Amino acid sequence: MRLDGKGLPVIAVSTLTAAGLAGRGLAQRVLEGGHPRPSELAAPAPSRPEDIRQKKLMSRAAWFSALVMRGALEEARWNEARAEIGAFFGVGASGAEMDEVARLIVASMEDGQFSLARCGREGLDACNPLFAFQIMNNFTLCHGAILEGLAGPNAAFFSRGTGTVTALEEACAAITSGACERALVGGADTALHPITMAELEREGFLRQGLTPAEGAAALAITSTAEAPLGYVEAVRVFPVERPRGTLVPRTGVLRDAAVPAALDALEDQPCDVVVLAPWGTPAREALLDLPQVLEAEISVDTSLTLGESLAATPALAWALTLDLLAHLNKPRALVLSAGPDGDLGVVVLAKGGA
Amino acid sequence: MKRRVFVRGRGAITPLGETWPASRDALAEGRSAVGPVRHFDVEGYPSQVAATVPFPLDEAEDRRLALARRAADEAWAEAQVSAAPSRIGVFVGAESGRATYGTIFALSRAAGGGARFDHARFGEDARALATAVHAAAVSPAAVASALAARIGAEGPVETISLACASGAAAIVSATQAIRLGLCDVALAGGVGADVDPFMLVGFGLLGALSARGVSCPFDVRRDGFVVGEGAAFVVLAAERGEARAEVAGAARTLDAFHLTAPDQAGDGAERAMRGALDDAGRVEVGYVQAHGTSTQLNDAVEAAAIRRTLGDALPNVHVGAVKGAVGHWVAGAGAIGFLCALEAVEEGICLPTAGLTEPDPACALPHVVGAAKRKPVEAALVNAFAFGGANTSLVVSRCA
Repeated sequence: MRLDGKGLPVIAVSTLTAAGLAGRGLAQRVLEGGHPRPSELAAPAPSRPEDIRQKKLMSRAAWFSALVMRGALEEARWNEARAEIGAFFGVGASGAEMDEVARLIVASMEDGQFSLARCGREGLDACNPLFAFQIMNNFTLCHGAILEGLAGPNAAFFSRGTGTVTALEEACAAITSGACERALVGGADTALHPITMAELEREGFLRQGLTPAEGAAALAITSTAEAPLGYVEAVRVFPVERPRGTLVPRTGVLRDAAVPAALDALEDQPCDVVVLAPWGTPAREALLDLPQVLEAEISVDTSLTLGESLAATPALAWALTLDLLAHLNKPRALVLSAGPDGDLGVVVLAKGGA
Repeated sequence: MKRRVFVRGRGAITPLGETWPASRDALAEGRSAVGPVRHFDVEGYPSQVAATVPFPLDEAEDRRLALARRAADEAWAEAQVSAAPSRIGVFVGAESGRATYGTIFALSRAAGGGARFDHARFGEDARALATAVHAAAVSPAAVASALAARIGAEGPVETISLACASGAAAIVSATQAIRLGLCDVALAGGVGADVDPFMLVGFGLLGALSARGVSCPFDVRRDGFVVGEGAAFVVLAAERGEARAEVAGAARTLDAFHLTAPDQAGDGAERAMRGALDDAGRVEVGYVQAHGTSTQLNDAVEAAAIRRTLGDALPNVHVGAVKGAVGHWVAGAGAIGFLCALEAVEEGICLPTAGLTEPDPACALPHVVGAAKRKPVEAALVNAFAFGGANTSLVVSRCA
């Protein structure tokens, strides 16, 4: 999807990374090598009474999402008519709190064996009543929407990368079609949940260089703005062919797909900055030549610095890119994400300002 | 001018039939598939019934994949569309699958086996268990990816996870994609395979399930929903071909109210319905396929919202809710509802609400009770409202 005119204005950004909750400064830390290594985040504790009540029912990623939604709304100063604001997010598997799972298991043991019957009788009482809803994917979106009163068009896309780019595409479509005038779009996830880690291990991603991490980012996008941070000029998901039964394409196939995808999104426009988000070494190698082909002056690898946060990674890459354009005073950037789902997500962002 | 979106094919596997025609005929008779759960021990569970698909499936696959493939194959075969692979998209409403209890048990043991999960101990030993966690069993995106590979789709492939509104939201996303020219053909729908211990535990803890073991939307006796399973898909296209119906309107809202309860004012639901009707332009609604979960609050709130939205037009409308017959498919619910609405428009068959015998005055609507009613229907409205407050409404109308 290519947006008309200058594109859609982005007027606020909020990120949660190993450096904490912030709206700006990501670019400088990344360029100077001052960003903390990927790790489990010390997310801010809830501060409002309603946060404290609802936090008990959240997965970790849902809390991340709620934090960046709030941050973006505050920076955008969107305090009025929040019921009309749309919300589009890439979400992961959410993930139940493993302590809840452990309590359920322990309460369901009988003669050293797991008993479904005992689970029904006693396991239930050992759990938080909303335990199952920590694993409902859409709650990563809904918790934040409830806390902030966002009631407009919405969707939660399961994402291992390009699902988050789809969220941006749908947010742009909602605004251009008139379904809403303002929207929050982003992603939140953790690759550090035990079951997710086990999944990544099984599929071989960890052995191939994926650095598991967690985080979130949200952008506030609107139909018009006088002096935005930047503009979304184009957004598109490019499916990449892969062998049957495998999750990701071969390195050569990904390499061959990346250049046409980038050129298609740019439509002959020059590109000064390329921001990549490869899930690990094979994807990184496949994208290595792209900045040179595009004759970009600057190239940054988001995943190398921030780690791989699955559904959050593309959104973090967009936030980083907008910050880079402002910090370096460059007019346009291409962001290309290649997550563990195997497809390419391409976004063209332009510098904002007066 | 936005492109029109035509319905070229439909397919479903339900607890009442292996295909959509077989399922529709059973639904038209007012039959219910709710019965005792037999494939695992449910002693002690708050609810011991479900609406389970009884037909043989490929056991080598994750159950969601097996169900989705059957329904998608049927829809795709009927559609007989021709398009370049890059112009074909797949849009699926799906939730995460559940790792088996055996897997969860093994992971828990690896982390110490106590009542507290020891993350520090969850290291190399636990990683060795990775072979027990199959990606397809956990990732909801596995369904869309598998279907895309099966039909050779190389356009947009999306997985929408909005709980009970997922399947309907997938059809909305597909409609939007065709309207915007992102693809010309879309396979869209939803699948639910939630008759498993994990979900019975979760819904049971909430008190959301029927203790009486009956799904009877809008009935005065209703006391919760019954978990069901199945898959439903449609093929949408920009080119009309032999299509007799089109997606005329679509809208999505959020309640922003509560995780598990609808906004009691029904504002979000009403906005979704009005949004879909506004998007459709001037249409005369003759049938509503309600979300109708058989829970006290949802049904009363939805009924009131339908009354407000349709107003003076309500006497000319018939209302049905498919969950009475096939239970709640969660991520697949909105998709099977869409097929019911489509049937009203294409065939003039207004499918009933199975289980409804004594309508609650708080849910006063022109219900279809017993067997299906037949009448010409120009347009039908279908609702899907989710835990977490996501609301989706669609209007399907006869092609002009």
